[in-house]
Formats: sequence, structure tokens, C-alpha cells
Amino acid sequence: MKLVEALATISKGASSGGELLRVALVCGFTPLHLQTFLHAELQSRFPNHRIEIVTGTYGDVAGSLSSLVADGLEAVAVPLEWEDLDRRLGTRHLGGWGPGNLSSIHEQTRMRLSQLMILFERISKSIPVILSLPTLPLPPLFFTGAQRSGAWETALENEIFSFAAALTQHQRIRLIGAQRLQYLSPLSQRLDVKSEWTAGFPYSLLHASTVAGSMAQLIENPLPKKGLISDLDNTFWSGIIGEAGASEISWDLDHHSQGNGLYQQLLKTLAEEGVLVGVASKNDPSVIDEVLKRNDLIFDLNKAYPLDVSWGSKSAAVSRILETWNINADSVVFVDDDPLELAEVQAAHPTMTCLRFPRQHPQEIFELIVELRDLFGRDKISEEDQLRLESIRASANFVGTGDAEGFSEVLLEQAEPELTLTLKKDAEDARAFELLNKTNQFNLNGRRFTEAGWQNYLGEKDTFLLTAAYQDRFGPLGKIAVLAGRMNGEGLIVESWVMSCRAFSRRIEHQCLKSLFAAFNCETITFDYERTQRNGPVTSFLSGLMEETDTSRPRLSRQRFTEVCPRLFHRVREIKE
Amino acid sequence: MSEISVKLGECFAAVFPQLPSEEIPNATPTVVEGWDSIATITLVSVIEEQFGIQIDPEDIEHFVSYQAVLDYLTAKQVNQD
Repeated sequence: MKLVEALATISKGASSGGELLRVALVCGFTPLHLQTFLHAELQSRFPNHRIEIVTGTYGDVAGSLSSLVADGLEAVAVPLEWEDLDRRLGTRHLGGWGPGNLSSIHEQTRMRLSQLMILFERISKSIPVILSLPTLPLPPLFFTGAQRSGAWETALENEIFSFAAALTQHQRIRLIGAQRLQYLSPLSQRLDVKSEWTAGFPYSLLHASTVAGSMAQLIENPLPKKGLISDLDNTFWSGIIGEAGASEISWDLDHHSQGNGLYQQLLKTLAEEGVLVGVASKNDPSVIDEVLKRNDLIFDLNKAYPLDVSWGSKSAAVSRILETWNINADSVVFVDDDPLELAEVQAAHPTMTCLRFPRQHPQEIFELIVELRDLFGRDKISEEDQLRLESIRASANFVGTGDAEGFSEVLLEQAEPELTLTLKKDAEDARAFELLNKTNQFNLNGRRFTEAGWQNYLGEKDTFLLTAAYQDRFGPLGKIAVLAGRMNGEGLIVESWVMSCRAFSRRIEHQCLKSLFAAFNCETITFDYERTQRNGPVTSFLSGLMEETDTSRPRLSRQRFTEVCPRLFHRVREIKE
Repeated sequence: MSEISVKLGECFAAVFPQLPSEEIPNATPTVVEGWDSIATITLVSVIEEQFGIQIDPEDIEHFVSYQAVLDYLTAKQVNQD
């Protein structure tokens, strides 16, 4: 982003109004253009918000962090530089170099990092901390010269690496990826000495823009894609299996098809992380059966689900896969080597990310793999991520055994369902937060939360949080439902309610309400319901419960619920605060 | 209106979005709200970016009005030619 574009974005955003989103930018230098770029990047990512950037005291990162009041802040962004660790590691202060000072510089750096660690740990208990570790080059103060790494230089770098390793253990501390930053903003183009000496701002415009963009991305922390649908011929492997046969396709160095092998390796990794991997291929299914017998595939195709192999259109195959996964196109990436197929799928699913596999171009294949890695990047791998595919397979196996309203009562009973209901306001429950922000279909009103907003909500004394984890004899689904609301004089109000589509038709929603009536001993539950484009399932569910369905805040009495609640088969385990 | 003045007007509009375009030619720190030292640095950076030039630090103190900046850029353009 250019500076003039950033200013225009800010100017445009200033008139848009909307909810306030405040971010603290704490740096030892004058924030100047970094503040401008960060404001603009956040405005682009949060177009319906009014952005405000608050800044700290010049030259005093630790002091600014110590006095930071997290209330009302969405995040704190800290571009830490060498000079913040010891002023002798900058160029604005004179008289501190020389071989006799190196030991004390190292010691001062170590002490300052220890101090900052305590501050970051404290702040991250309330809000996310977005941090870039020294991005500017060390000044030429080492006697070895820059062409050779000496003991003192590596000792300083080692302190930073150890510091970074410790920080990554904290859920709400997010470090900007140093390699990506290096790629986008080369070291040689980062420092602007003139700006540093005249304005106290050491970053070149390119570097300021890059750091701000990275910070804004980590503040937004967008949800990763959930599924990848891949073509096979000249994508998953090199060659056309229908013409060459299963023994002639390849994915290795010897056959100049290492890119296909690397792609398979990525798919295997993604699948192990819980990404859904499906296949849409125009082929004869019997030909694919042959390749399934090969035991040298890097990614075992038996682990892809579903395998949609037919001579029909790719877009129809993709639609069938989406239906099986029960997720939206905007959560899915489609990869194919054929531009026409990509265009056809893109036209049918405009919100899907469609990427071309650039066969015969190794560099471009590598870049595609890097891009895919980023699209599926996540904070951590949860238990639910690893259960997802198997639970979809298990659900699909029972299609056809259910009645019009879902699974048959016999099946529900024989499934030996167990539900763990936890009534506890745990702000550290990342899965609950994730479900609230990604579930579309069974979603009471489509309301989303920022991390700070969710923390504040749970901090209100009259609110509650109920989460539900499910398993049956076919396997666990993990944590699949979240209800949040509050008690007031009228009874219980449910303000947010989401449930994973994998858990539909198991009467979990009924069991949740039954438990709420019991836990709060209330006579009514009011639902803060709003119709959205996608929340048909929750609308249908509430319609089935209520006597009157045309009210915007439907209210359910205990008596009515008892009358309409179907038979429940769950063995319920309750955990309370 | 010269190409330089058009481009410079865009720079001023970016840095001072509240300033009506017809008032840009008369802009000085005393009449433009928010034209402080930070705004001057931002203006210099925008001009450097948009014109693809480097401005010497000692020249910045002469940036006391739109007209002064225009004169500076015009002179620099002449020198460059």
C-alpha cells in the first residue's frame, strides 16, 4: 500500500461510522507512517468499524506497556526494535559502541527481554499482543564486521530466538513471521536513515507498509479455510491416468514431477491437521481404483473424502462434495490444472478460492504450495480438527437410515450418545470462540465477536456460557455447540447459540435447552433471534418449538418445551463452574 | 495548471482531507487546521512517494505554504531537466 492510498483509506473510513475498534501501537520510535499504514490496513479489513490507534510514549516501550489499560482495546501491536532493548543498538544515540561495551549490551538486552516477557504475558491475559521482533539490521558495532557473524552478534540473536520461542507458547501472543517479512520487505530496504535522524521514524515506507499489513492480518486473525478439493490428472500426479495407466503416472524427481509429490505432501499434512480434502476428477472410477492400490502415494487417496470421480461437470462434483461436507463454498479451495475447469467451478461457486496448479513451472508450483499453506494456517490444531473428517464419514454412512426429521429413534438410541455440558465462563476456550465466529447454519443471529469483545461479554456478571461436547459409539464429535446469554428479571435470555452442522439431527439442541431450564430453574427462555441468509436450520428448529413464530424475540416456556420436546437419549455429564 | 501543481494538489488533499480543493493554493500552517510538524513530515513523505524524489532535510523548513512547496518542486524539476 502506498502512503497516499493509506491516507485516502483512512479519510474514507472516517466518515463511515460504525462500531469503534481501538488498537494500541506501542513502539520506541515515532509511530508516524506505521500508525497511518496500520490504521489504513485495519480500516480495509474492518470496513464497518471506526478505527482508532492509540500510541505510547516515545523511547519507552516497557513504560508504555506497563501503563497500558487493556479495557476497550482490541489488541496491542508492538514493533520491537534493537534500540528498544539497548539504545546503543540504534544510531540516534552516540558514544556507546566499542569492544568494551559488547558484554554490557548483551546483558542489558537479556534483562530488557525478561522485563518485556513479563509485560507481554500480563497483557496477553486480556487482549492479543501482536509482535514483530527486531526487523532492522544491527548497527555496525561488532569488531568482526558484518561479513562474518561474531560471538556477540550471534549471542544477541540467540536471545531473540529464545524470547520468540517462549512467546509462541502463549495463545494470545502472535509473532509476525520473520521469513515472510523478509520476503516482502528485504532487509536492505527497511532502514530509512534520513527519516530516522530527522523524524525519529526508522522505517522506509515499504517496510512500514509491510509491517503494518502483517500486524493488521494478525489482529484480524482470519479463520482458515476448511476444505480443499483437488483435481487428480496433472495436479495430484503428473500424467493422465486414463491414457497412460496407473503405473505410468508420477510424482517424483526422477520423472520431473517433484511438484506433484510436494503437493501430495502438503495435502497429507493438511489432512492430518484436520483440513477436509476431497477429490473432483473427470475419469473412469475403475481407473482410479487401480491407483488406489498403489502403496507409494505420498497422500493416501483413501484418506480423501469424498472421491467424486465421474465424467460430469466439475462444478457439479464440487457441489456434491460441499453438500457432503456441509460447509460453504467460501471456506473451500479448489485446485485444478485446467483453466477452463477452474473457470467453470468459479462461475458456479463465486465465493470459492479457485487456484491453478501450474504444471511444468516448478517455481510457481512452490509458490502455490506456500499460498495454500497460508490459506489453511491456524493458531493450533484442536481435538475437533482431528475428528472432523471421521465424523463426516460416520454421518454419511447413516444417510438413508434416518426419517424425515433426521436419524430414526432406534438409531439415536442405539448410538449410545453422550453429551458433556459445561456451564463455565472460560474465556480461554478457543474452540467456543471459534465456533461462535465460524458457524453459519445453526446460528441464532449471526452475531460475531472480536476476542476483546468476547472477553468483555464473559466478564459481565449476569452472563453465562454453556458448551456441549458430543460422542456416541461411532466416535467423538468434540465440542460442537455454544450457548451464551444472561439472566434477568424476565428469565433466561439466549443471546448467542451456534452448533456445528456435524451435530445436526441428534437432538442435542433439545438437550441443551432442557439443561438450561434445569440449571437456571427458569420458567422461560427468550431467544435473541435474527434471520440471516444462512441460518435456516435454527429458524426451523425454533419454529418447531414455538406456538407463535412471527415474533422477533421468540420466548419458550418450560411447559411448552416439555410438551414438544421429543424423546432424548443422551447420557448427560454436567460440569459447572 | 501545470502537471506539478495538479499532483501537488493531490498530495495536499491526501494529507489534509478536510481542506476544500479551492483552498489548497492558499494553504499555510496558520490557516489549515492540523498542519503541524507531523503533518509536514507526512506531506514530505507523500510528495517524495508521488514525485519519486528525495527531499533534503534542510529544505523541509521552507515548506511553509502550498506555494512554497510548489516553487520548490518547480525549481527542482528545472534543475533535474
